[in-house]
Amino acid sequence: MGILHSLEHPVQAGVWHGSIPLEHRYTAGVAGERFLRGLKEGKIYGTRCARCNYTYVPARMYCERCLGHLGEQAWLEIGVEGELLSFTEVHIDPSGQPLAKPRWVGLVRLRGASGVLMHNLEGVTLEDARVGLGVKAVFRPAKERSGSINDIRHFAPA
Amino acid sequence: MEQHVFPTRGLSEKDFSEHKVLVEHWALKADYAWDTGVAIGGFLQGLKGGKLLARRCNRCRRTLIPPRMFCEECFRPTDDWVELQNTGWVKTFSLSNVRWDMVRLEQPEMPAVVVIDGASPGMGILHMLGEVEPKAVAIGMRVQAVWKPAAEREGSITDIRYFKPIG
Repeated sequence: MGILHSLEHPVQAGVWHGSIPLEHRYTAGVAGERFLRGLKEGKIYGTRCARCNYTYVPARMYCERCLGHLGEQAWLEIGVEGELLSFTEVHIDPSGQPLAKPRWVGLVRLRGASGVLMHNLEGVTLEDARVGLGVKAVFRPAKERSGSINDIRHFAPA
Repeated sequence: MEQHVFPTRGLSEKDFSEHKVLVEHWALKADYAWDTGVAIGGFLQGLKGGKLLARRCNRCRRTLIPPRMFCEECFRPTDDWVELQNTGWVKTFSLSNVRWDMVRLEQPEMPAVVVIDGASPGMGILHMLGEVEPKAVAIGMRVQAVWKPAAEREGSITDIRYFKPIG
């Protein structure tokens, strides 16, 4: 008998069904919590590392470049305007199903921030989308905000 | 070098229940259909029938339980199915006061490796001991499988409830 076995009976194609329960509770951390609570108030905060001349949005507690602590003095309010650095027209949902209507996402560098933020884009079309387009954060109404990145509904051309 | 030591406090359940922190709750439903393979598939079918099955390699003459279609010492397929007895002895064991899901237990669970009679030396299966006081468990203790009734067996290692000591 060779190494490869043909199954002689369907019962040999045994399968055991099981599931692994995995549950997460994610918290934002000290700086993340303060950043998200800022969004709830309609404000975008960042932290600036003076040594590296680098401003983190979302705000961070440590500079990842020099490992320096970003304390109280490092916090600053960032404006809601910025420029579009990259954009994508999305045609399928996370499980691969086609969307009824395509949606847009993009990378935005807020004025005053060193990094980029990914978020939804609204009011951007294939014709006017371009790197460098001025955009502005549009917040949800205050009562709909919960301390989430989605408290910003989208970025729209400024 | 600067050293920063910050007063920190870990989060407690109260911080969550009293909504002191923002939290994203996510539950992943990870469903699996694990292939048993031919050897374990046959072994599980044997359990459903109330039997402990092994595979035999005619070259090295070892009887393997749990069974394997391949002899790892001879590098050749194993030859036959062999039915073994329901009895054996305890090679090693643990007394566990914590269950797999982290629940504390007053009475410990007693997982053990049971060498099955008729199998080659050292060949055994992992199972639970039952009907025995934790203090009385000893290496070398002779045991016998206690099965679920036929109608309740489903082709699972739990078709054997546990191994209990015999005289």
